[in-house]
Amino acid sequence: MSLPNTLPGAAGSADRPDTIARRAWTLLMQRPTYLIFAAVTLFFVVFAPNFATVSTAEAILRITALVSIIAVGMTFVIICAEIDLSVGSVASWASMVVGLLLERNVPTIVAVLAVLAMGAFIGFINGILVTKLRIPSFLVTLGMLSVFSGLALTVTDTEPVPIVDDRFSNLFWNASYVGLPVPIWWTLLLVAVGFYLLSMTVFGRQVYAVGGNLVAARFSGIKTDRIKIASFMLVSTTAALAGMLLAARSTAGNPSLGTGLELDVIAAVIIGGTSLFGGIGGILGSVVGAIFIGILGFGLLVMGLSTSIQEVIKGAIIILAVALNRR
Amino acid sequence: MTEAGLSVANPPVAAPLVSMRGISKSFGENRVLRDIDFEVAAGEVHALLGENGAGKSTLMKILMGVYAPDAGSITLDGENIVGTSVQDHRAHGISMIFQELSLLPNLTVGQNILLGREPRLPGWRIDHRRLAGNAQEIIDHYGFPLRAGREVRDLGFAQRQMVEVLKAVSQGARVLVMDEPTSSLSLREEERLFSIMDELKARGMGLIYISHRMAEIFRLANRLSIVKDGRLIGPLVPAATSIAEVSQLMSKTTASALPAVTALPDAAPVPRTETGLALQVTGLGTATKLRDINFTIGRGEIVGLAGLVASGRSTLAKALFGLIPDATGEVVVTGRPLRLGDAARAVAAGIGFVPEDRRLEGLVLDHSLAANVALPNLGRLLGRFGLPYVSDSRIAQLFESYRSQLGIVARASSQRVGELSGGNQQKIVFAKWLATKPGLLILDEPTNGVDVNAKADMRALMRAVAASGVGVLLISSELDEITGAADRILTLVDGRITRELHQVRDEAELRGILQADVAARVEAGADTKEIMA
Repeated sequence: MSLPNTLPGAAGSADRPDTIARRAWTLLMQRPTYLIFAAVTLFFVVFAPNFATVSTAEAILRITALVSIIAVGMTFVIICAEIDLSVGSVASWASMVVGLLLERNVPTIVAVLAVLAMGAFIGFINGILVTKLRIPSFLVTLGMLSVFSGLALTVTDTEPVPIVDDRFSNLFWNASYVGLPVPIWWTLLLVAVGFYLLSMTVFGRQVYAVGGNLVAARFSGIKTDRIKIASFMLVSTTAALAGMLLAARSTAGNPSLGTGLELDVIAAVIIGGTSLFGGIGGILGSVVGAIFIGILGFGLLVMGLSTSIQEVIKGAIIILAVALNRR
Repeated sequence: MTEAGLSVANPPVAAPLVSMRGISKSFGENRVLRDIDFEVAAGEVHALLGENGAGKSTLMKILMGVYAPDAGSITLDGENIVGTSVQDHRAHGISMIFQELSLLPNLTVGQNILLGREPRLPGWRIDHRRLAGNAQEIIDHYGFPLRAGREVRDLGFAQRQMVEVLKAVSQGARVLVMDEPTSSLSLREEERLFSIMDELKARGMGLIYISHRMAEIFRLANRLSIVKDGRLIGPLVPAATSIAEVSQLMSKTTASALPAVTALPDAAPVPRTETGLALQVTGLGTATKLRDINFTIGRGEIVGLAGLVASGRSTLAKALFGLIPDATGEVVVTGRPLRLGDAARAVAAGIGFVPEDRRLEGLVLDHSLAANVALPNLGRLLGRFGLPYVSDSRIAQLFESYRSQLGIVARASSQRVGELSGGNQQKIVFAKWLATKPGLLILDEPTNGVDVNAKADMRALMRAVAASGVGVLLISSELDEITGAADRILTLVDGRITRELHQVRDEAELRGILQADVAARVEAGADTKEIMA
């Protein structure tokens, strides 16, 4: 039985000239969160002391790097109409593992590659559990959240692992190239790779199709399970990378570094216009979402609000943004 | 629609319990129901027939209050109830038993019957003892073999239906709509259901019985009506008609009103120069439905697969396309063997598949027209500058080339496919598979739910595709579509191919053959029942 259809009678009527003002208006209607984003930023520029400076922007981007990097991977998973709640604890675990490897004098590059591979493997396990055993990703990754936060705490009996390897610290946090701190370079690299994969490759198109209509994707000859598994591998790898950035920042592997990161990451992706129901969204929106969360946190900090109140305001604004973005 | 010569009944039943008059309903420009009169009397079983998509579910949803009709009235015992909500219609005593039962399996029979009306103790607590007692009283009143304390998950389908019936009647239902109630019952369970229906009739309820099964209808119904292309034929009295007449009425399309099928403008018919087979199937079977299927399709040939509902038509299509994991057998597509069980391999081997349910299986409704057409073709749309990237402009180009060729009416390639009419959506599904340059195209109900003109377009398209050397497997419940288009017809009965017909051009003849084969199977063993379920 057919459902209500809009008919192609509209074909003639919509050929009005596309003025810039009209296009801007449509964009704003599609992304009402950008209005909130602009309003909040403007508010801080006017009311927060010394907000509109280059150093502020750099500080925000640096903080945002962690959320942005994982948000790139998370965008794939959410467009597949799945979710990964384990990224925060995978980041913590990755920081511990890299700390322990460096402590045992494993060469920096080997340690880094090993941790990235480990991240991919964790994602592979998540993907297999979701697609082959058909356990909802919410449950699989909720379980994994617990597993890896527990592992991170157990492996050194909750003690942080100091990192004294300068190469490592420079690679992920301290160094600057062409005037930009290295975490920002990492963000740019990940965003570029993520954008290429999602928007320009066959794989990316298939990710959209899997999330848009899983059955139709299967009926089009797409190996839907592989697409989902690959997406889970991507997000866990980005989580492992973010974990190493965190370790470099605090010059230690620490079992609680990534705690709660998953909330900021998912909020960033949703605020950026990616649909929780799958099939719609994009990398650039997620980065905008991550930067928005960064600006919000930093602005509230500069205004002198306590971190506890910050959490309340941040949560409320995120809910508001998501409510406006709902489709 | 010619109704001359029909025994349209003015039967001697009591004044109608519920009466629908002049009901019309459109979705957008798609007119689903036109000026329908339908009524049920107390103590009557009124059967409602019609092919999928004919409009009977819409009619029943209007009766239930799910949709408001565009025009017309519904009166229950002389009181006008149109325009009110589902709750209102239910309060007036109109209930429906759904194909997928709507019980809560984790609750007991009694809890389900009295759901939302549980007897209370002070403090919002449920009085479980009184609940069980009240429920058992209702059960015993109707004499059903049930215990109020059993959990619904432990019950068989027939017993679950009894619970549904009790739930409805205990809420004061006077009109009960039963949608394919026997589709998942065994023979014994069916008998039980029929005796329940007799009981309900005797108590003065009006029953509307939706089914595809003629034998049941002729046994149970006092009157029967047929929904065909949005219009109602009947009511007829079973004694005054026959299975053959009813099947003919159901399937007679507006084919005579269709323009003659012509080839598409720029797809000029190509003489069948290509020889060889597009498809060769040997010993195809699945665990539950198909048995030892053997057939071939030549290049440029349209082979029609005719079968009644639940004969395994769609299962065969899905098995060939690799969507049934347990399918076994040898399949050769354009000369190369195909290992079953993986749709990606089927696409690579050159099979295109226009599935039965285009909204669920064929399209990503929220995505653009161009993206949908590109979906199975992405590998061939890579850009030329070294990097493996899919270029948007080539995707749009691909769509544009098919837009003109298939006459797709749309604003732009970026339009959401969900915004198109049914016929144009179906053309998008065609386009996505034609773009893969298939050697074999499987069409499962290609004209399902599209309007009359789009149906003509689809048929012309099918001809043009075959003329270009593609083998076509056409599956349709509209037998005249098969007799009109196919070069050769295979009949499928209970998962087996029973006949290969070369010269059948008459829809009634084909239906007669099918029914004879079904009857033969039924006589051959009652186990068919189990296979069909």
